[in-house]
Parts: sequence; C-alpha cells; structure tokens
Amino acid sequence: MSSMLHLKLPGRSDAIRSFKAQGGKIAGVLPIHYPRALLRSFNLLPVEIWGPPRIDPVFGSAHLQPYICSIVRNALSFVQTNPFQTVDVLLVPHACDSLQGLGSILLDFVPPEQPVLPLYLPRGQGMNKASFLQKELETLYQKLKNITGYSPSQDEMMQKILYEEEADQKLASLHRQRRNLPLSDIEFYCLIRAREFLPAEKFSEIAQQILDQVRDEILSGIPIVISGILPEPMALLNEITQMGGMIAADDLACSGRRLYPPGRSQEPFLRMAESLLGAAPSWSWGSPIQDRLEHLMGLIQASEAKGVVFYNIKFCEPELFDLPSLREGLQAAAIPSTVVEVDINDPLSNQMLTRIEAFLEMIA
Amino acid sequence: MSAFGWLTYAWNVQLLGPAALRINRWLSESRDKRGSRWNAETLAPPLKISFKNKELVGRHWLEGRYANLRHKVAWVTSGAPVEIFKALDYYVLYPENHAAICGTARVAVELSCEAENAGYSRDICSYARTDFGTLLSGKTPVGRLPKPDLLVACTNICQTVLFWYRVLARHFHVPLIVIDTPFVYYKEASAHALDYVMRQLEEAISVAERVAGKSLEERRLRTTARLSKMASELWLEIMGRNAHRPAPISVIDQFIQMAPIVEMRGDPETVDFYAAMLEEVDQRIRQGIGAVKNERKRLLWDNLPVWYRLRYLAEFLGEHGIALVASTYTNAWGELAPMIDPDGGMDAMARAYTYPILNRGTRYKLETMREMIERFDLDGVILHSDRSCKPYSIGQMDQRDRLLKDHDTPALLLEADHNDSRSFSEEQIANRLAAFVEMLGVEKWQRSAHWG
Repeated sequence: MSSMLHLKLPGRSDAIRSFKAQGGKIAGVLPIHYPRALLRSFNLLPVEIWGPPRIDPVFGSAHLQPYICSIVRNALSFVQTNPFQTVDVLLVPHACDSLQGLGSILLDFVPPEQPVLPLYLPRGQGMNKASFLQKELETLYQKLKNITGYSPSQDEMMQKILYEEEADQKLASLHRQRRNLPLSDIEFYCLIRAREFLPAEKFSEIAQQILDQVRDEILSGIPIVISGILPEPMALLNEITQMGGMIAADDLACSGRRLYPPGRSQEPFLRMAESLLGAAPSWSWGSPIQDRLEHLMGLIQASEAKGVVFYNIKFCEPELFDLPSLREGLQAAAIPSTVVEVDINDPLSNQMLTRIEAFLEMIA
Repeated sequence: MSAFGWLTYAWNVQLLGPAALRINRWLSESRDKRGSRWNAETLAPPLKISFKNKELVGRHWLEGRYANLRHKVAWVTSGAPVEIFKALDYYVLYPENHAAICGTARVAVELSCEAENAGYSRDICSYARTDFGTLLSGKTPVGRLPKPDLLVACTNICQTVLFWYRVLARHFHVPLIVIDTPFVYYKEASAHALDYVMRQLEEAISVAERVAGKSLEERRLRTTARLSKMASELWLEIMGRNAHRPAPISVIDQFIQMAPIVEMRGDPETVDFYAAMLEEVDQRIRQGIGAVKNERKRLLWDNLPVWYRLRYLAEFLGEHGIALVASTYTNAWGELAPMIDPDGGMDAMARAYTYPILNRGTRYKLETMREMIERFDLDGVILHSDRSCKPYSIGQMDQRDRLLKDHDTPALLLEADHNDSRSFSEEQIANRLAAFVEMLGVEKWQRSAHWG
C-alpha cells in the first residue's frame, strides 16, 4: 500500500544542510503562524521548532515554572543549544501567554546566539486586523533587512509568495484527498509535517508525486478526526492504525489549522497577511468557539469521521478553554469524542492507548 | 422598563439597600471599637475606611442584582477601557473581581468544582473556573449576577481573558468586543500597534452604542476619564505614602482596598473614597502608626494576591516584624494615571491601555521591581508564582535570580494560586517563608522582649 517507500523524503538535517550548501541561511521558527514567504525572500529557510519532543528540558525548567507546557519548556532548552549549529535567526510568533513569555525571556534574560524576532499576530475582530498584520510584516521585513543586509524587491517577494501558495495548495489537496491516498497515517503525517522544514518548491514536488497517486479506493479503518496541537509522539499514529483507526482529517495546530488560502492583493505584505488570516478558525486568531465547532463539524462531514479525539498538550490553556464547548456541541450532534492529555516528553502511555482503543471500539 | 421594574430598582438600589448597608457600616464601626479579629499584637487595626469600602462595594454588587431592570450590563476584563462603557450608562461588572470575592469568601473551590464537573480543566485560570462555576450553579456570595448585554475582553492583562470571554459569548449569546493590545516586547509599542488599538476602540464604541441604543457623548467620556484619572492618581499617592517608615498601610490593606479602583473606576464616589483613604493614611503617618507594629523589614510582593490566605500571610509576616510595603500588582492600577488624558481622545486612551505592566516584557517588570525596591527602601521580594496567572509568572525565575545576583536583594519564589486553595500547600509555604525570614535575619517578635 505504501508509496512513500518509493519517495525519498528528506529529513530535517538533510534539508538544512542542502539549503545551506546553496548559500542559504536558517530561521528557527516557533509555533504557530508566520509568513514563510517573507523569510524565504531573505534566503532564510524556515525550520519549525515544536518543542521538539524528548529532549533534555533541564535548561527550560531552570527558567520556567512546572505549569508551563512542554512545547515551550523544550523550545527554550532547545534553542539554547543552537540547534543544528546552524540557526541564524529565531522567529517567535505570538500565540498564547506561554509563547509570549518565551519570546520575552529570550529577548530579556537568556538570549541565544541568534537574533530573536517576536511577531505579534492579531486576534481582534475588525477589518483592521489585516492592515495591522501587514504593518507587522513590514516591520519584520525591516528587521530582517538589518540582520541580513539584503532588501528583496517586491517582485522577488511575490515570486516567493507564489511558491508558498502553491505548496499550501498542494498541502490542502493532500488533506482533502487523505482517504484516497495510498499512505498510512504515519506516512501521511511525515509527509505533511515535512512542510515544517522543506523549501516550498521541494515540498510541492513531493506532494505532487503523491497526489498523482490518488485512487478511487478508500483507505480502510475507522475514520476519526484528531484535534489539538501536534501528534507527538508520532508513534501514536502507528498505534491508531494497529487499533483499526485512521485519521481522516485533522484540526491540529501544526497541520490542519495551517491550510492557508492564497491572498488576493498584489501588494506582497498585504497578500501574506490575507493568506495567514484565511487559516481555519482557532483561538490563536480569536475566532468564536462556534466557528471552531462549525469547522470541526465540516471536517467530520467531509471525511465521514465517526468521532473526534482531542489530543491535548498538558497545560495548553487555550485548548482547554474551548474543549467543554466543543465537546458539548459535538454531543448535541451525536458525534462521540474523547480527550487525552500528553506531555511531549513522555512516551506513549498504555493508559492513553487503552482509552483511544476503547473509543475506537465504541464508535466502530 | 416597566413601572414595576422601575419601582423594584428604586426601592432596592436607591432606598432600602443603601440604608441597610449604611446601618450595617455603623454597626460594624461600633463593633470594631472592640478590636480586630486579626492579630492585634503585631498588626495595626484595620483602616477605618474599610467599612466605607465594604459599603461601597456592597452597593455596587447590590446594584448589580437589579441592574438588568434599568441598565445595559457590560461584563468587562479588569484592564478594559471602562470609561467608554460608563459614559454610555452601562452597569459594568468585572468577573475577575467577582471571582476574587469568591476567593476571599472561600467558596472559590466549591465553584471551581462545578466548572471542573462540566469539563473545565484544573489547569485553566482559577478566576475563570470560579466564574464558570457561578454561571453553572447560580451560586455566588454577592446574591445574583446580572446577565450581560455586552462582553468586553481587553488582552492587555493576559490572553486568557480572550479564551475566557469566548466561552462567555457562547454561553450568553451576546456580542463580544475584543480589544487586542499587541504585547510590548521592547521599550515602546510600535506606532502601528497603537493605531491598531485606537481603531479597535473606535469600533468598540460603535458596537457599545448599538447595544446601548444611544450615542456616546464626548463630554461624558471626558468627565468619566477625568474621574478615572483622579482616582488612579489618589491610589498612586496612597501607595506612595508607604515610602514612610513605618509603612502606614500594608500590601494586604491595598489588596482589600483596591476593589473600587478596579470595579468603580470613573465614578465620583471612588474619587471621594480614595481622597478619604489618603487622609486616613496621612493621619497614620502623623501619629506614627505602622501597618506592622515594630516594623523591621520591608518587602515587595509580586503578582496577584493569594485571596484565601491574606490573613495568614499578614499575621505570619507581622509576627516577624515584616511589612509588605509595595506590590507590582496594586501598583498596576496607579502607574498608568499619568498616561490617562481625558482630553487626549482615543489616541491617549489607546496608549494608556496598551502599557499595563502585564502587557510589557519581563525586563520591564524587573526594572519596575528594582525601582520600587529603591523608592520604598525594601529589604526583599516575595514573588508569588501563581499557577493560574502564566503571563505574570513567566519570567519570575529569572527576575528572582537577577534580583539576587545583580541587585543583592533576597527574593523568594512562592508557589500558590490566586484563587484555588488546593494549590496552596500550607506546610511547604510555611517552611519556605520561615527560611526566607531567617535569611532576612529576623526572628519572631517576642512580646516580652519589647514590653520588658
């Protein structure tokens, strides 16, 4: 069944080495939303840092209290080691109180070797959201210009934007056609999470090879939707497959909530802002919970999923606030859901797997 | 409003209620002559103004019970630009204050459990859980909460309020105004951030006008902003008086007396209240009265109070001759007073509401603490690592280290929660406080040693 076996999917380190060999530089990027095209315009390859899982969190623990989530704690530990010995710039987008605090600590108290650039993402409601973000991106442009000494033209930026938009479209197609792709869950998530570090052109090329293999046959397994921040440890996906489940759609911050539509404007900064703001509704944009619920229901309907697994990171307050309302809404529509909570440093627990297995048996 | 509604409101809020509260104050004042329930050997008696405070706050919540009969009601966050809503005649309710009342009344855990039973995690803010508990159970120590017609969440104190108010919006099906104030990582907010906040304020006004069914009068907005500024300046002056030795009031007193500056900012009664409080504080200075008798060490408190253990902390520290003299938290409601410009329009309002300490970087807070240590001549700092308030708490570990290493100021990190007593380990806290007190070089105050 697996066509991934025929594909050579570069790893994170390979992608970085290859990009640097061509004279490029690396931007380490914290979750969740950011303008890829803007970084690429400065010949910076964005490489995302979602924790990462299973590293020694001692450094982070010396600076953050135990009730701060493991993504932020690990990230603080990780960036201090100058990951890959190659990160040239660190971008810290704003998303929640913890990431906000992380950005502040990195600027004020434990500065890494690289310049740290915070980016504020708007969560107001009015029409001026896009214009604020546009100006925020212009400010980021100026900072990158000062760091790199390079000033990309509008045409260069538009070219990068188009590359990224194409990759985003391919990513969205992969999600839409998930059940017709000859990929297991682990293969699918390895592929789509490669968007976290591959150059857009390379990702588009690989994604197209997979999309060319779309078939009529529908992937077997009990279809579920997974919601949360990220599917770590990734071994979880193999376990779900073995239990007879399959992830038919996702509302994960690292993937499904980042399917950006193309912007409309011909002005590059505004176009990038429009694209980012077009992402799925979530707390990170201040979207109403009802919008999140409707989005979730849409995913369930389109993927014919039979239930939802909320896969939460311990202490992720924004997710925890939405949970009861989302579950209540799903229950009203007779859609079963379950909640499991993880720390990205912990191995898969049997207790959690038993819970997911019981849930799959219930909805089968 | 119906005639019956008008009569009900007038009878309860304007006649019977205030009279009952006034009588209650008189009775409390006369009872008080018999002495405080708190340790009178080491602590000064409560401020006389406390009884007025209780009456004022009581009237506010009494009005809340009947507010839906006469006013549009707005539930707002403590950092929201309340002047707009006051000037539009909204009855303004602060869910954070309500939760704090539940904390001091020690019903917060019971209410939190109601929320937890409905699926809300113990890892979310305990203020939010407390209020969700009230919504779900109807239980509250203030009688009854009025239903909101409008919700206003301003992110200048935390992002949590946005997540919290999204839940409220879904629960009540009323409009939610979000005033998103970009976090100030550097010394100054960017021009486009201030412009963004200003435009949101303009949009907020049009939504608030629509819900209120009336237009905002500039004259009334200016008057409310002026009253806000006056009250904030008085509050700042009161806190500034603690530069005296002994400090006339403690931070615990400030926590208790801060309710009006938070929930009644913009009211003339609030200005009168703080003017009277300032007089009493000055009188204490003239008489040489200190909040802690035999004041030997002076400390700074960082972060929210531990609402359900105010007395414990006051007495423990008081027994050792330690006064909590200043607090970054109570200071937050005064430090922006100079920025409030009643004639400055939306531009000035955007600036004032973008710069609260909680919307600024971790270094700014450290610098604020250093400045307060100098100004109030302090001997150490207690940093309350508040499980429920991540934005206030993140950075404290580095702030503590910097205070110790760079400023030679002893600093203690105290793990607790502002409203959830289940996160308050009394034994552990007593041990940590005892060790800190020892480090400060003070021993428990012995009555015989001083009274011969």
